[in-house]
Amino acid sequence: MKTLYDYVLKLEAILAGLFLMLMVGLLLLGGVARMMQHPLNWTIDLATCFFAWAVFLCADIAWRKDMLMSLDLVTAKLSERYQRALLFVNYAVIALFLCYAIYGGTLLAWTSRSRTFNGIPGVSYSWVTASIAVGAALMLITTILKIRALMRSDGVPCTAAASGEVA
Amino acid sequence: MLLVVLAFAVFLLIGMPVAFAIGISGVLFFLQHPELPFTIPLQVTVSQTQNFALLAVPLFIMAGNYMNRSGITESLLNLASVATGHFKGGLAQISIVLSALMGGVSGSAIADAAMQSRILGEEMTKRGMSRGFTAGVISFTSLLTPLIPPGIGMILYGTIGQVSIGRMFAAGFAPALLLGIAMSIAVWYTSNKRGYPPERAKRASLAEVGSALRGGVWALLFPVILLVGLRMGIFTPSEIGAFAVLYALFIGFVVYRRLKTKSFIEALEISLADVGSAMFLISLSAIFSYGIVFERIPEVIASSLTSLTDNVQLVMVLIVLLVLVAGLFIDATVIIIMMTPIFLPAVRAMGGDPVHFGVVFIVAATIGNFTPPVGAAMFTVCSILRVSVGAYVRESLPLMIAIGLTTLLLIFVPELILLIPNLLFG
Amino acid sequence: QEKHILRMNHVHSPVEAYHSAFQEWAKRVGERTNGGLKIEVFHSAQLGNEEDIIEQIRQGANIGQNTDAARLGNYVREIAVLNGPYFVDTLDEAFALSKLDIVKKWKTELADKHGLQVVCFDFVQGKRHVFANKPVRNPGDLSGLRIRTPPAPIWQESVRAIGAAPTAMSFGDIYPGLQQRAVDGAELTYANIRPSNLQEVIKNVSETGHITLINFEVVSAAWFKKLPADYQTALVEECSAAGQKVSKVLADAAESEKAALVKGGMKVTDNVDLEAFRKAGDAAYKALGLTEVRAAVYKEMGR
Ligand code: NA
Ligand code: NA
Repeated sequence: MKTLYDYVLKLEAILAGLFLMLMVGLLLLGGVARMMQHPLNWTIDLATCFFAWAVFLCADIAWRKDMLMSLDLVTAKLSERYQRALLFVNYAVIALFLCYAIYGGTLLAWTSRSRTFNGIPGVSYSWVTASIAVGAALMLITTILKIRALMRSDGVPCTAAASGEVA
Repeated sequence: MLLVVLAFAVFLLIGMPVAFAIGISGVLFFLQHPELPFTIPLQVTVSQTQNFALLAVPLFIMAGNYMNRSGITESLLNLASVATGHFKGGLAQISIVLSALMGGVSGSAIADAAMQSRILGEEMTKRGMSRGFTAGVISFTSLLTPLIPPGIGMILYGTIGQVSIGRMFAAGFAPALLLGIAMSIAVWYTSNKRGYPPERAKRASLAEVGSALRGGVWALLFPVILLVGLRMGIFTPSEIGAFAVLYALFIGFVVYRRLKTKSFIEALEISLADVGSAMFLISLSAIFSYGIVFERIPEVIASSLTSLTDNVQLVMVLIVLLVLVAGLFIDATVIIIMMTPIFLPAVRAMGGDPVHFGVVFIVAATIGNFTPPVGAAMFTVCSILRVSVGAYVRESLPLMIAIGLTTLLLIFVPELILLIPNLLFG
Repeated sequence: QEKHILRMNHVHSPVEAYHSAFQEWAKRVGERTNGGLKIEVFHSAQLGNEEDIIEQIRQGANIGQNTDAARLGNYVREIAVLNGPYFVDTLDEAFALSKLDIVKKWKTELADKHGLQVVCFDFVQGKRHVFANKPVRNPGDLSGLRIRTPPAPIWQESVRAIGAAPTAMSFGDIYPGLQQRAVDGAELTYANIRPSNLQEVIKNVSETGHITLINFEVVSAAWFKKLPADYQTALVEECSAAGQKVSKVLADAAESEKAALVKGGMKVTDNVDLEAFRKAGDAAYKALGLTEVRAAVYKEMGR
């Protein structure tokens, strides 16, 4: 199980990096082709499709690394017990939201299947909308692992975001 | 919508990541509107990633990371140090100049802030500047970017308000210069008070300048090539970001030979987390904006405002204040689209000049990108530099005062804005 | 009395005639239903982009969208034919389309299978011409010119058919696109130019009139069904009335807009070889397999 998840994480990072690099390549190709009087409309379409996937895969990466920005004006002043309790509340609400995002995202991908992606015949917008459901599923796993780690430890995990540590 | 704002505040206070706090509280709006399909929040979140203006954000983050590892940043900073190193807070001053240069390139304050967070952020803190100050400078000085043509805000305003876009473009230069000077004074004041040391004791010698110029020629060429590329019609603004990445890779691998496979992958890995933290937040904030637009909140407030006085300059001050308040929650583009058709006719009816008003209005609207609790440029800078919003706001105060005073000057002396367009267009 | 709200979204700016037409539609419907059916008009695509809104409508949201046959063609393929090159010539031909059985059949399919209720399609923006930085007299002159085109297959094929290289771009990107020469021109109506200040960046218009753009007002079929019958009638009738009125206003405005543009230095090419363009346009119908569909509609029109 552990190794399978490791493979998933590796794949996630590789795909996200690949999508970002492909965005760069596609946008350049589009610009050069237009300069040569041969506009290629699909390059920008494909680039924005990759963008959606890159954003939600990267969001999970940032969430796992505790790199999503938060305010710690109040929480930092509380006792450890309250901090732990608040973390549980946060994780629970977030997990609930992610469940909604998985369900709603899947439904959205299903209903948008007849909507063509930027008018390209035969390419469904579902290819784009599916990104949010997949991203939310990965983030839900991350959240559950965070909850488990919190239950196993006694104190409050020192997150990068809370300690102002440099990434 | 009140419930939404309250929930957002509570979520923020219990330390929930801002991205989730804004998305989850935004969803509450839809619970109050059962007639709306419950998939809309997810749909608008995905739509943000299909937005050409935002496509530039990940590209400029990557460009910044690769410039750091290719040696471009280093020679650029060396050059900066030679040019401004004898000033206090030299690098902060460089951020101002760079934002103006980027105006001709990306035209987007958010893209500018994203790139500078990566190329200047750590360097500024290494030179002893506090993180809050660094973030504040990088964020607020990118106000210059949309004022130098071609800014998307001016095109939107011109289109919605039927104001000449050419005139708007011409009108942006002088205010950008004034704001740049005012920001420069604010930066100098803080650096002086804090005792941020100059990097060098005295002005660089001619020989030093020459060697830095030779070393930095590739770095200097970068904005020049981008500008020429844009002017010659080789690239659209959305492609410039991609070109910036390619250029950094080319210099890193071929010219300076500082970039290796290992550092290439490292920079990409950092970019993944940067893009995730910035873009996830920006995407989810669309859920929040939906409710604000749906309930027409800015229109309701705005229509009552213009009836207060018939002095056009006072009305402009009131409008700026209102736009700043709206800007706390909404980003520039939405403000310009929603409020131009309400304010512009009122200002016109009182005899105000649409170009004069437009520039002031765009300055005020753009500030919304920098102010908490919701602002795309602020989110990007603070999450990349890991700065708390509290420190960011505190340390940005001198800059805010400088911008505020300049804006008042621009309101009461319209000639400052209108001189250049009147010279060019008669 | 039943209360209903419709939020009507469109991409035009508030100074354009369309916005006033939607507001008039809203006013009339409000009057006829004693405020029971309220229409709120959102300009400049404030509620979201056209494709997103259409998805929301399909899921039953009380939102309306001003759209076109090209986009509706994503759901009922044949309907895209109405957006083809030189499909109709006059306003009256356009207004008569809604009475054809074949078109009614498409409307029913849109409502029953895809949840999209067409309220009316009497909003005609007028003839589209080629605005570029060089005069165009025949299809050959367009060769190699990158012409901005909305991102839908029928648009792309139509522009390709008349000889140009279609370049997909959103409406708001036309101004910077032309200024930075990312495209060589755009195909638009006369009335589109000044509201977006495009005369600042284009100097030539060639009167190809290659497409007459008909807009469709769509709402959710599920929402429409729940309205009282008299509300439905008011909504549909006033939609047609407002649409036909603004279409005539725009047709007349084309002349005055043209005059204003000429005065501002725009050069007009009116000796365009229309026969050559018409013939070239046929390729678009062939490429999308719509040649027979067009023949069927023309037969019913008696053309
Ligand atoms: Na800056
Ligand atoms: Na803000």
